[in-house]
Amino acid sequence: MDILIISKYILIIAFVIMMIAALRASAYKGSSMGLLGSSVVVVAFAGALLVFGELYNLTFYRDISLALIFFGFVGTVAFSIVAGGDK
Amino acid sequence: MIVEYIQSALLLIAAFLVIVSAVGFISLSKDMKNVVYARIHIVGIFDIACVIAMIGLGQYLLAAIYFILAPFTAHAIANAFYKSEDVVNNVELNVVEDVDDSNPFIVPRSKVQELENENSEKLKADDRFTISTLDIIEEE
Repeated sequence: MDILIISKYILIIAFVIMMIAALRASAYKGSSMGLLGSSVVVVAFAGALLVFGELYNLTFYRDISLALIFFGFVGTVAFSIVAGGDK
Repeated sequence: MIVEYIQSALLLIAAFLVIVSAVGFISLSKDMKNVVYARIHIVGIFDIACVIAMIGLGQYLLAAIYFILAPFTAHAIANAFYKSEDVVNNVELNVVEDVDDSNPFIVPRSKVQELENENSEKLKADDRFTISTLDIIEEE
């Protein structure tokens, strides 16, 4: 088996572990921790989708991960402004 | 062949960094001081790991976009936490009432709340009932 494919699978496993850890952390006390955990989950999913798309030749995987990263950023910043106030 | 080795090395480095950041993200103690900022710092490692993975996968534009956007996200979350929930560091959230003891008409709010709690514990429902019935006895 090619070393590149093995490293891609290892990276997918790492992203899944990070998603589980971020889901656990988003349940901690405070809305900021929820915000942090959810943004990490979105980015980890986008990264895993990139690797999946490379492995299985999915269509539009690059566009979907770009949208996830960009709109995840927009949502995180918007909720941060709402939570922190705009003073 | 060399390009594949470089790509796989980048992906393995990214996977290692992601796992290390996941373990650190979970294993920090809740009672630690400024733990939210520490977690935001750990997420920074995860962001750079994502950028390395994107470079390893050949998605250079996506890596550049995320490299620019990630610090803004971290700063926004830290700013929101500081302004709304950080009681330890933010002076505005941890206001100590300055009370003039010489004025008998100004009482701090915390003291009033303590007095209310004490009264509510002492005055039980039966006591209130007996006092109110004593007032309407006709023999007196």
